[in-house]
Amino acid sequence: MRTDEKVTQDVTGIQAADIEAVLDPVEADGVYRDSRQCAALALNSGSTSLLLSPPTPRPKKG
Amino acid sequence: MEQSGTSTRLQAAVQDLASGVVSALRGGDHAHVVPPVGTDGEAGDLALAAVRVLGADALLPGLLSRTPPDPAELAVFRKAVEAYPPRADAAPTVRWSHWAMARTLRRADPSSAEPPDEPDTAWLDGATWQFFTHQLAVLAPLALPGEDCAVSRLAAGRPVDVARGFVRAVRRRDWRQAAGAGRWLTLLPGVPDTVGLEAGLDFVELMGGQDPLVTLQVQAARRMRTGARV
Amino acid sequence: MTAPADARRTADALRAAAGDALAWTDNRRADFALGEDALAADGEVDRSWKPLGELAQVCATVTRLTGPAEPLHARARGLLDFAWQETREGELFLRLQRLEPFATYPLEVYAAFASAGLRHPAFEQAAAVVARTRGWRLTEQDPTRRLGVLRAEERCGIHRFGQAPPELPQTWLGGLPEPWTFGRDAGYALTHVVFHLSDWGRDTSAMPPDLVAYLGDWLPPWLDTCLEAGSWDLACELLAVAAVVARTTGEDVPVNDWARLLAARGPSGEVPLDDRDLDHIAAGPGADGDRHFLHHYHSTLMAAFAAVLAATRPAERPEAGRRPGGQGAPA
Repeated sequence: MRTDEKVTQDVTGIQAADIEAVLDPVEADGVYRDSRQCAALALNSGSTSLLLSPPTPRPKKG
Repeated sequence: MEQSGTSTRLQAAVQDLASGVVSALRGGDHAHVVPPVGTDGEAGDLALAAVRVLGADALLPGLLSRTPPDPAELAVFRKAVEAYPPRADAAPTVRWSHWAMARTLRRADPSSAEPPDEPDTAWLDGATWQFFTHQLAVLAPLALPGEDCAVSRLAAGRPVDVARGFVRAVRRRDWRQAAGAGRWLTLLPGVPDTVGLEAGLDFVELMGGQDPLVTLQVQAARRMRTGARV
Repeated sequence: MTAPADARRTADALRAAAGDALAWTDNRRADFALGEDALAADGEVDRSWKPLGELAQVCATVTRLTGPAEPLHARARGLLDFAWQETREGELFLRLQRLEPFATYPLEVYAAFASAGLRHPAFEQAAAVVARTRGWRLTEQDPTRRLGVLRAEERCGIHRFGQAPPELPQTWLGGLPEPWTFGRDAGYALTHVVFHLSDWGRDTSAMPPDLVAYLGDWLPPWLDTCLEAGSWDLACELLAVAAVVARTTGEDVPVNDWARLLAARGPSGEVPLDDRDLDHIAAGPGADGDRHFLHHYHSTLMAAFAAVLAATRPAERPEAGRRPGGQGAPA
């Protein structure tokens, strides 16, 4: 450790490394909400259009 | 756990300081954002470290409103610049952040020393637009109207990439990055109109505004959009 | 700009990926076949006509963009013929139309075949009769779907004279929205607007220039985030849109995005819909073949579609290159 670093640490009680870590943050992980539950709709729901997207289910014959 | 405890307390101190800056940017009292020198013990240490972390933005309200700095505030800012020089192996963002503080100090008090030479920008050579935007957002204090440096010149050459990074950050719900990128976008020529920056800043504040570091960047961006000069 | 040798290597890799995807598809013909319930009142259209129509649509574009001597062409041609046979050479469309005269999906599915030259004149005549009614023309649908129906009508010789399609400005993409409002539903809507406007990649010059510029700006963050989220299916569609745009602008193939997508493929070149529940689905065809099929067929078709669009770019590169101020994501 260099002398000036030692002095800094004594003065502030905080490591320079603490500060430098905050000043050089890694990117936060992305948060996605539309990737899971909605995908199921693509498979199962007639009202969701994926490609040619047929309409809502037909009524049963009475 | 000492390390993470320190880090948590530091983050909290940074948030406090950022809240003060935000309130000053909103037109409130901007005199005593930075706690006075002479605050002793751990509280004073933390406050000083927080000033170093917030960097040049600690003096942003006065800078944007062209108000002469409070001498006590200036003294703390100066102390933070002097107490935390970048270490030999410091990351580029650490070097640039420190350089930005030195530049601001000189701006606020022309009797201060000339800022050192600019650090280099080699780490941004060939950077993907994703990495480029993230680094710019970390260096948001460099985004000031009328202030030139190597980083801002690089940003001016990649407005579409920064706008893409803004979109990506919002999509990832990384509000800090989005706010910092949004601040840069207010300054860059050639940003596609379709990005919808004004609504974008409102949205980022709505979603991330409980974090004063997000609000600080959004407020700074708004002030700069309305033509504030340094 | 990519060097010619790199561009060739990329195109070869994309052709190989498309070949694998269509080979997987070919092996699943039985799953695409129309079952007994294709005409039943309570039949599940999403599991019968929809996959078959999508198969036809993708193969129609592949056969158009590849040379007759290419293996890809032969594979797609074979699949098209298979799908057409499933409809009994169009006869089932006529029967479907008699059962549900005001449903639009028979025409939409039929249009995919018609675009490949597989036609059934009696169905087209019947569809034209219904399409003349005010009721048909006022069918309430979301604007993107509406655009698709209009295109299907044109494909079948039904023209709404003197009526410029008002749908485009009503769509999410047509309104040039703030790109950070992109989400899953907006994403699928916009890809389909592009598919309809460009006639499924066969007429990319029909894309309005403002849409091309808009897409060129914002596809990169949309693609990046869909890939990060593991939304492989939407990523495939966005890669197809990127390829449509690139055929106009001459922009390079986004090789990094492609690499991320291709890394998500299964052992036979199939692409999962998303990365949800992979452990369960990995039980594979033997355990729950239907589920496996439904989790893979659409994304796999879209991957083949996108790869062929990207790999068969016209040799003459347009003047326009990259967007100034954006260098994209260098490799």
